[in-house]
Amino acid sequence: MITANTIKRGAKNGLNTVIELAKVIIPVYFVVTILKHTQVLDYIATIFEPLMKGFGLPGEAAVPLVLGNVLNIYAAIGAITSITLSAKQITIIAVMLSFSHTLPVETAVSKKVGVSVALVLVIRIGLAIISGLVLNLVI
Amino acid sequence: MLDIMAIISDGIGGGLKSVLNIAIIVFPLMIIMEIAKDLNILDKISDFCKPLTKWMGVSKESAFPLTIGLVFGLAYGAGIIIQSAKEGNLDKRSLILVSIFLVCCHAVIEDTLIFVAVGANGFFLLTIRLLTALVLTILISKKLPSLDKEK
Repeated sequence: MITANTIKRGAKNGLNTVIELAKVIIPVYFVVTILKHTQVLDYIATIFEPLMKGFGLPGEAAVPLVLGNVLNIYAAIGAITSITLSAKQITIIAVMLSFSHTLPVETAVSKKVGVSVALVLVIRIGLAIISGLVLNLVI
Repeated sequence: MLDIMAIISDGIGGGLKSVLNIAIIVFPLMIIMEIAKDLNILDKISDFCKPLTKWMGVSKESAFPLTIGLVFGLAYGAGIIIQSAKEGNLDKRSLILVSIFLVCCHAVIEDTLIFVAVGANGFFLLTIRLLTALVLTILISKKLPSLDKEK
């Protein structure tokens, strides 16, 4: 049954989530914006350009991909919104990140369930790479 | 230096805007999820997941952890999996297959909407994620022998 408590619980969860994502997105967006203006982002982009080319992404897309995998999706969002990307590129990054993100935390969770860490990492990173390559050709 | 001020205000303003864009989606979503929980809509989604368990070659009891993981995320799904395994409701083979599926595909509502908020194609994202995870799990299920018989 739905009571006032239901809404209250939902609002509390919602608020907590928004606070959590704000704590990550705002600093990431800020730092990436600074990097953009100090040419550091151009430098990163040049290094990763050959690697990102296969996915149809610019070199700076390495930033959301790395942040999403090491930290979480919120951090990746902060980076995605602070660099310039086309709708196709955002979709490719989104699919890649949806398969493979928050690796340290989520791998620990799957280990607790009893699935091999190596298997989980191979599957997730493998799916991300394959989906990125295929999507770039298909869409 | 006017330039530095512009960069800083861009850095803070843009970040706030991104948070707001996502908050507009996440906040109502969390309330809807609580309502869904209290209306027992999960049982209905669980029924919907039953054919999935058949294709994946896992026990019918896997439908519940599968649903929870798909809707609420890996941590919740894993919690239910561990609990079900302890209670003996989930055989080892099902446990591994459900975990593999959920590792690739979880929290699909929140993840999809968050990426849609920043401009991704949600239909593409959700379809590709679900289908790939399903096909992969089915393939592994064909290769994975019945673990319980080996004991």
